[in-house]
Amino acid sequence: MVELVPSLLRQELEALAANDQRIDGRGRWDSRDIVLETDCLYNAEGSAKVTWGDTVIYAGVKFEVRTPWPDRPAEGSLMCGAELRPIAGRKYEPGPPSPESIELGRVVDRGIRESGCIDMASLCIIPGEKVLGVMIDIHVLSDKGNIFDACALGAIAALRTATVPAERFDIGEDYPLALSMTPTMCSFTRVGGRYVLDANDEEELGGDERIHITLGDEGHLHSLQKGLKGTFTPAEFDEILGVAQQRCVELADLVHSKEA
Amino acid sequence: MGGYGDVQLLRENGLRLDGRKVDEMREVEIEAGILPAADGSAWVKHGLNIAVCAVYGPMEAHPRKIQRQDRAVIDVRYNMAPFSTSDRIRPGFNRRSREISKVTAEALESVVLVERFPRSKIRVEIEILAAEAGTRCVGLTAAAVALADAGIPMRDLIVGVASGKIEDTVVLDLDKAEDNFGQADLPMGILPTTGEIAFLQMDGDLSVDEYNTCMEYNLKAAKEIHVLQIDALRRRYLEKNGGEA
Repeated sequence: MVELVPSLLRQELEALAANDQRIDGRGRWDSRDIVLETDCLYNAEGSAKVTWGDTVIYAGVKFEVRTPWPDRPAEGSLMCGAELRPIAGRKYEPGPPSPESIELGRVVDRGIRESGCIDMASLCIIPGEKVLGVMIDIHVLSDKGNIFDACALGAIAALRTATVPAERFDIGEDYPLALSMTPTMCSFTRVGGRYVLDANDEEELGGDERIHITLGDEGHLHSLQKGLKGTFTPAEFDEILGVAQQRCVELADLVHSKEA
Repeated sequence: MGGYGDVQLLRENGLRLDGRKVDEMREVEIEAGILPAADGSAWVKHGLNIAVCAVYGPMEAHPRKIQRQDRAVIDVRYNMAPFSTSDRIRPGFNRRSREISKVTAEALESVVLVERFPRSKIRVEIEILAAEAGTRCVGLTAAAVALADAGIPMRDLIVGVASGKIEDTVVLDLDKAEDNFGQADLPMGILPTTGEIAFLQMDGDLSVDEYNTCMEYNLKAAKEIHVLQIDALRRRYLEKNGGEA
């Protein structure tokens, strides 16, 4: 279903931006409240529920034993997929994965993969024959804006609390999956002409392009993505990167607070 | 000792492996209105199963060929999350979920006053987040609460319940081991106030007497779950209107 963008909404967002205000009363770099729950799904080896304002997502981690890729015979694999199923909102329809859900899954995947937080060699069971595959599936249940950050947070929280079910695969005792880092994502959307952190659904509807920044513990960039129509200047990017550097530390702390 | 295959499902004291009596159901928790994007929603935890349901609509029925001149169509999608079972399942619709979606839609059509909304569509999205036997019933229980939460007029709620047979004994509400190694499973969708049945499936082997016992257990459980459904809706209503429980 195509959503109409009422010009009234755009006008309102522009007028608010001129006074440095936002439609829900937040400051420009304020996030909505986040509730993170982990170990909430019985059959998943790691799981997280993120309630980010009115956005709700679940992430679940499963493992499987598979044959390694021919070019990486001694390494396990990681797969991260996001499902924008029709439950997530009025505008979502059934059918094969949409470009939006593919982008979402891949951007979250890149942030985790490229940070190197999972030691792929540690997932090898028998080189060339058997390795562990880590599968992260993310379900968006309620899209009220900024699903990217919610999904990235849920994915890393589910991974960091995951247990490798080694007994089930007859390869020893169950053990916690080791992660060396906590990459987190910060997304910015152009609303009323300037970037804001954590846009809600109205701001996304009446806004323009978005930028997703994933940072690791050291503050290094691990994934960047610009989505939707629009351009930005290097100065604008410098500004939001500064905000992201502060914000990602807080998000990582939130994840760590859920670890045993 | 009795037992089906190699698995013993009933203990010598007559209790089941998880300590329940034969006519005892797993613990059920229900919450209404948990998804802000939806017009109506529900969360149901039944034993270790978790189902979430969202309702959207009534809205324009699209594509037009699905429109009915005299009533609304109910478009149900039952889906199991990839992480809901012990082995990951491939995302997407399969033959099992298609069939469950179809019979669930037909069950809901028999309680929703569909003739009030000609040419429109009501979308019912059921997501199973954790599966431990009996998910279609849990989905149906959740769907009824979500429809009521969306303010869609209905003749009655629906409760999904199942009974079955293990080791030649009829038991209420099979868990996973009992479902895998048992002899019969009889899931039903019951209208709790009238006792009518809107959803029925069965597989396995049941005598007429055993069927009657199943039916009795199912009706009893439906009444218990109905109380929880009403309670969830009442809490939701009070919360929306700022009242006290």
